[in-house]
Amino acid sequence: MDLDPSLLARWIEPLARGRGEIAEIFVERRREAALLWQDGEVTETRMRSERGLSARWADARDQRLVFVSRADGAGAREAVRELQSALGREPLPIKQGPDPEPGGAAPLPLDRWRRRLASLLARHAPRHRMRWTWREIVRDVVPAHAPACSQTRRLLSLEGTFTAASRRGDETRAFAFHSPDAEPTADELKTALAAAATPREAPLPCGEGETDAVLADGCAAVLFHEILSHALEVPGLSPLTGLSEARLGESDLEVRDDPTRLDLFGGYEWDDEGTRSRPVKLLDAGRLSGRLTARRPGSTEPSNGHARRASASDLPLVRGSNLVVTPGQATREEMTRRLGSGLWIEDVESGSVDLAGGTFRLRFPRARRVRRGRFADELGPGMLAGEILPAFKSIEGGLGRQAHPYRALGWCARGGQIVPVQGAAPDLLIRRISIRAAP
Amino acid sequence: MRSERVQELLESKAPGRWELYRKSAASVERTAGPDSRAEALRREEGWAARWWDPSLRFAAASTAGSLATAVEQAEEVRAAPGEPLDWPSGVGGRDPGVDPETPPAPPDVFEELSRLLAVESRGEAHLDALSIRRVATVERLRNAGGLDVAWTSAWLDGLAGGVGRRGTRACESRIAFRWDDTPELSSLARRLTDRLTLPLSDRGTPIERGELLLDPSVSASLLAGLVPLLTGAVGAPWAARADWISPRVSIVDDASADAPYDGEGTRSRRIVLVQDGALRSRLHDLVSARRAGEAPTGHGVRPSYRTPPARAPRRLFFEAASAAPPLDLLSSVRRGLFASALTAPARLDLSRDRYELEFTGVALVAGRAQGGVAAARSRGRLTDLLRGIGGVSSDRTFFPMPCPVGAPTLWIERASFV
Repeated sequence: MDLDPSLLARWIEPLARGRGEIAEIFVERRREAALLWQDGEVTETRMRSERGLSARWADARDQRLVFVSRADGAGAREAVRELQSALGREPLPIKQGPDPEPGGAAPLPLDRWRRRLASLLARHAPRHRMRWTWREIVRDVVPAHAPACSQTRRLLSLEGTFTAASRRGDETRAFAFHSPDAEPTADELKTALAAAATPREAPLPCGEGETDAVLADGCAAVLFHEILSHALEVPGLSPLTGLSEARLGESDLEVRDDPTRLDLFGGYEWDDEGTRSRPVKLLDAGRLSGRLTARRPGSTEPSNGHARRASASDLPLVRGSNLVVTPGQATREEMTRRLGSGLWIEDVESGSVDLAGGTFRLRFPRARRVRRGRFADELGPGMLAGEILPAFKSIEGGLGRQAHPYRALGWCARGGQIVPVQGAAPDLLIRRISIRAAP
Repeated sequence: MRSERVQELLESKAPGRWELYRKSAASVERTAGPDSRAEALRREEGWAARWWDPSLRFAAASTAGSLATAVEQAEEVRAAPGEPLDWPSGVGGRDPGVDPETPPAPPDVFEELSRLLAVESRGEAHLDALSIRRVATVERLRNAGGLDVAWTSAWLDGLAGGVGRRGTRACESRIAFRWDDTPELSSLARRLTDRLTLPLSDRGTPIERGELLLDPSVSASLLAGLVPLLTGAVGAPWAARADWISPRVSIVDDASADAPYDGEGTRSRRIVLVQDGALRSRLHDLVSARRAGEAPTGHGVRPSYRTPPARAPRRLFFEAASAAPPLDLLSSVRRGLFASALTAPARLDLSRDRYELEFTGVALVAGRAQGGVAAARSRGRLTDLLRGIGGVSSDRTFFPMPCPVGAPTLWIERASFV
């Protein structure tokens, strides 16, 4: 941490006068590098370096936040002074004199990734328009009357379109891959690109009606992100309210929100209020078992580390992180056989949920029709839709034997705040879900 | 580090071919729910530079000093050479020199909007979240051609969310809004009421074909969906024709009253994009203008200092030579649907000339409402929809999408429904 946490603590602690009040200083330093690629060449480079700091105070009914776009002692002092004035408290004295220069940052891994990407794209997707982004996000939290914490996350994304061969001519396909920057990432990206570029038949239009579907290759994580994670972020509004410990689905259905999975895009060690992150079991043997929480002034219920902010200028909100579904024992062949006739879906490009109405939608770019347990036609873009509670009941027991990280899921926007999320899920079979073609 | 040092750095790297942008903003945001209140004061500063060396590069940072570091880092990667931009030139201007004053807190209107919504919806909808933000910004842009311009902006914007319930049915919705200064609570309450109560009807569409009346918010979403066509981002063979949209409407972009310059220093001006049924002009920033061999139109938009300018509309709207009062349009509907609010984003496939609108609204017969329609879909050929604009109302309203998009009630002569 560039700033002295004990000094910041001395400034912020007087604001939290008792159990009924909380306060913290939140500091973020962010570096971002983006390379725009077209057909094997970097056509544009974009660099970003941002610093921001906020001081926050909250009681049971009220919150105040002051944000400045600097991350030094003077900025912290300014933010705390403004907060104190807003609360009618005695402000800190104004300090004269310069702040020490922040420490040097590690070099960016640009050239390493540029060479890797040049090789990967040339091999698997030579005609493309892609954006590769590398982000380093350093967050420090100094809560009043609690230990300070600091963490660094390095995340990368590759998104865009490429031209793929299909048996009836070329087609443009979308591609998205989000991952922490780690040792296995390059190999995972290679595998994902190769799979995305596999030649396919030209798609037929999706029909309309009800179908059975297997959500494969991890994309079931998007389903649970919409119908479980979002539903538990906003207590009181969703159909899951008041159903604690109710059986929602099959007994082998186990889902947890796990921010400690640092190998997934949505992982973190400390939440944005300074609480240590921990996994929370949301479905245990098919029963609703937990919920996501943050600090609540005056409450005796502890936070389970799910307070998240899009940036230092935002108030923290309870948000999900990584949705992890425990795998079962079924092989892919068994899943196909049990599906019989229906759809096999390996990509979900977006989802939405109406919590009050209890409904959800998932949009997929393509699917495979399965007839009598065998893969048949390719189908074009479509929409799955349903109601939240019946959807849980429609998930058949006997999940796939391997949970796949779903790297295409990277960001979630709720209330205008965009945070990194991800998930890992086995193949799962859902019965009688509505489907229609999407333009 | 002062801005002059950054300018010197840019000039050393890209003589005569750079721009430097600074934005400072102050905002106060009030967020309210039934049992909670929050207030956030934000003071932001952002710097951005673009330069050509001979690749186009971009860097952004929250201070001049870290911008200089980002500029050096951007050059660590070899990039393919590109075309230099024709940056606008000009004379030096006055540096406003000051960051914006912290604006006054926005009005606390949660209780009043709650009451209006309850009255308008006859108790079926309630407000569960309202955030209002008052923003003031100062922007300054300089480039190697001697341009040095600055401008200020101020506005109110926010998000209102609610829940509607009728029996066992419920739905939620959020509406973004933007006002120049005075809150327009009555129209916001009406829009929320439609979004939160019409989907609770137990009726689907009673007809398969008929006329379609689009509420201004729906017309605006339709217009926003045409933006890729207006910027040239998506090719559509049908747009080369002379009659792909009704001659009753023109499409214009004119942000002159909002700011004198775009995010690249090109003067704002009125651009007629579509007139007499045909595409007349496209929106251009410096990059697309250079590629097309045309003059920039003042549409290099910076939604944030963090991203380089890109071509986009700034204040896009339908314009009509003659417009009827909204009630006249309504009473002229023999048999059709009034699409009061979209229930999903408008889906336009410009390359394949297809559209799909999912909406909630009211069934109309002989100009009279026949009951709510919880959910309906209209889909078909986009050019059929656009050519079928048979009437335009005088109630043009602007909606943040995110740039202001203005549209009136539109009467479509025929559409099919599911």
